[in-house]
Amino acid sequence: MAAKQFAGMFAAQVKTMFRDKQTWFWSLFFPIILMVLFMIIFGGGGSSSFKATIAVADPSPNASSTAILETLKQIPVFELKEDQPVTVDQGRDWVEQEDVDALIVLPKTEGVSEVGLIVNRASEQSATTQAVSSILNTIVQQANLSAVGATATYTVSMESITTAADDVKYQDFLLTGMIGLSVAQGGLFGMVEIVDMRKRGLLKRLSMTPARMGLFGLAGMLVRLMLGIIQIVCLALVGVFAFGATLHINIFSLVIAFIVGALVFSAMGYLFSSFSKTMEAYMGMANIASMLMMFLSGVFFPINTLPDWLQIVPKIIPLTYFVDGMRDGLIYANGIASSSFWMGIGIMTIWGVACYLVASQVYKSKSISAVR
Amino acid sequence: MPVLEVNQLRKSFGDVHAVNGISFAVEPGEIFTIIGPNGAGKTTTLEMIEGLLPPDAGDIRFGSLNWAKNGEQIKQDIGVQPQSSALFDLLTVEENLKLFATFYSHSRSAEEVMDMINLTDQRSRHVKKLSGGQKQRLAIGLAMINDPKIIFLDEPTTGLDPQARRNIWDIILKLKELGKTTILTTHYMEEAEKLSDRVCIVDQGQIVTLDTPAALIERLTMEREVRLSFLDGEAAAAETEQAARQISSVVRTEREDASLKLWSTKPEETLYELFGYTKDRGFRVEQISIREMSLEDVFIAFTGKEWRD
Repeated sequence: MAAKQFAGMFAAQVKTMFRDKQTWFWSLFFPIILMVLFMIIFGGGGSSSFKATIAVADPSPNASSTAILETLKQIPVFELKEDQPVTVDQGRDWVEQEDVDALIVLPKTEGVSEVGLIVNRASEQSATTQAVSSILNTIVQQANLSAVGATATYTVSMESITTAADDVKYQDFLLTGMIGLSVAQGGLFGMVEIVDMRKRGLLKRLSMTPARMGLFGLAGMLVRLMLGIIQIVCLALVGVFAFGATLHINIFSLVIAFIVGALVFSAMGYLFSSFSKTMEAYMGMANIASMLMMFLSGVFFPINTLPDWLQIVPKIIPLTYFVDGMRDGLIYANGIASSSFWMGIGIMTIWGVACYLVASQVYKSKSISAVR
Repeated sequence: MPVLEVNQLRKSFGDVHAVNGISFAVEPGEIFTIIGPNGAGKTTTLEMIEGLLPPDAGDIRFGSLNWAKNGEQIKQDIGVQPQSSALFDLLTVEENLKLFATFYSHSRSAEEVMDMINLTDQRSRHVKKLSGGQKQRLAIGLAMINDPKIIFLDEPTTGLDPQARRNIWDIILKLKELGKTTILTTHYMEEAEKLSDRVCIVDQGQIVTLDTPAALIERLTMEREVRLSFLDGEAAAAETEQAARQISSVVRTEREDASLKLWSTKPEETLYELFGYTKDRGFRVEQISIREMSLEDVFIAFTGKEWRD
């Protein structure tokens, strides 16, 4: 009896989902478009190397200034606008017009003097300025050392590491962020179905039959999980084949993060549905939630790019942990043996359970038939 | 033994007594119609009987079953077509029927139901592409998929064109032939009169009157309206009016040009006498009619309200 009902409900909801063009647009087409846009804008065409255009002024050429100029020319990330030094005025002009990222004014005398760095105020705090300034510092230090005939005692050797088997590129980061986001949105927006069914009297109609509503909800959940798997596969295919993203999959952490996440965001959607009389109200709530979470959960950019005072937010909201969990399973190949993975799952679960309990309470307090 | 008994049913929403002590019993195989103006408490009454709303007071019994103890069994035994036709829009006619069939332990075949509601040709059509009448027929089809003993139809024909309405009447009469009990609410007096075995007029949460349509009309023992119109013009009508006033059963007359209206407590006798008179005088009568009393008159007489569709 229950099996017969469940099979019927599952088949009906699969058909309904596949026939609804909106589902396809919002669950697949839209995330793919968004991902492609972000890949093109921020992916930098695959090689994300740093380059700065600079101008050099040498007001009174001398041995030191010539030596520094030669060094500057050899720094690969610096591109000189003019091979030969220009006047200070010309250089300032370019900085003001933002034709160059910085103007470097070489020392006027061979003895004690300074190297000038002139940048546009608008980009005073930019990463480019920071980088140019630190490169210049290193060069000046080298010059100082050689001026007194010394060699450096300590040097820095840098090596970048990640937990992944391979380097994680922005493409991988964005791809997994988008996968997490679209699965989460599937849950957040998907529960509009309930509002729609209530508005059209379908919930009431079903409650007049021996149909078990719990089974109906379970069947709906399974259908949404299916859609989630389709989303992951399609986005991953586009990311890997069109943008060269690399995945290192750990199936256990992926499956656990996916199922928990899909349930948690559906629970949030369920909570919104309990408060919404109309579909518009529901969509408003879901949109606000998804927008806020989208930019505060490290979907597009790492969380540490946020200002300090805002850093607390990503530590609370579930999307952060969901995206992290999906990254553990998709690019870092982290197994389920890490405590941070389980902490993320734990925080998501708390969200899910809380949303579900509040929603059930709200639903209990109003009768289905009160809505006509 | 009645299939459904309702006893002193009450339901209030805040200060509004939507249903205020309604009692009736429905016999097997009957078409039992509840009529009444908007807000009379029809739908609230139905929703309590269907188990959607808990009554404040009173009891509802389906034979020996009641909602508190036998909710699941009652749901298996009844079929409901709610006022707003609630259907799965993206499923086809057949898929809707088959889905609902899975809910019940016993069901009719979708094939058979589609045949009864005359939607076999539209079986593979998505519900959102059906016409209003077709959707309504499907909603009734869903109400009979479990081969229920009692079917509740809440305003099944509201908003349909006359042809679509007739199609639905045919279905309701077919259900009666199958021995099903139907509980119907409607906005259309003509429909109630044509289909019902018994009619229950509800107003302000109470039953105003309950009987067969014929008995209800008969209770209106008032005078009947008789109309005559004359080919020979105003003079003939005026002379006949004078003659009619002499007849004892004629209560009142009214004339406009060549047409005459009179109210009689014994319309057949009045006409017999009047025809004698017109024959003697050689007046040619163009049209005669005795206005039929309808449920509408019953409604007006009992509630004091104008009936509006």
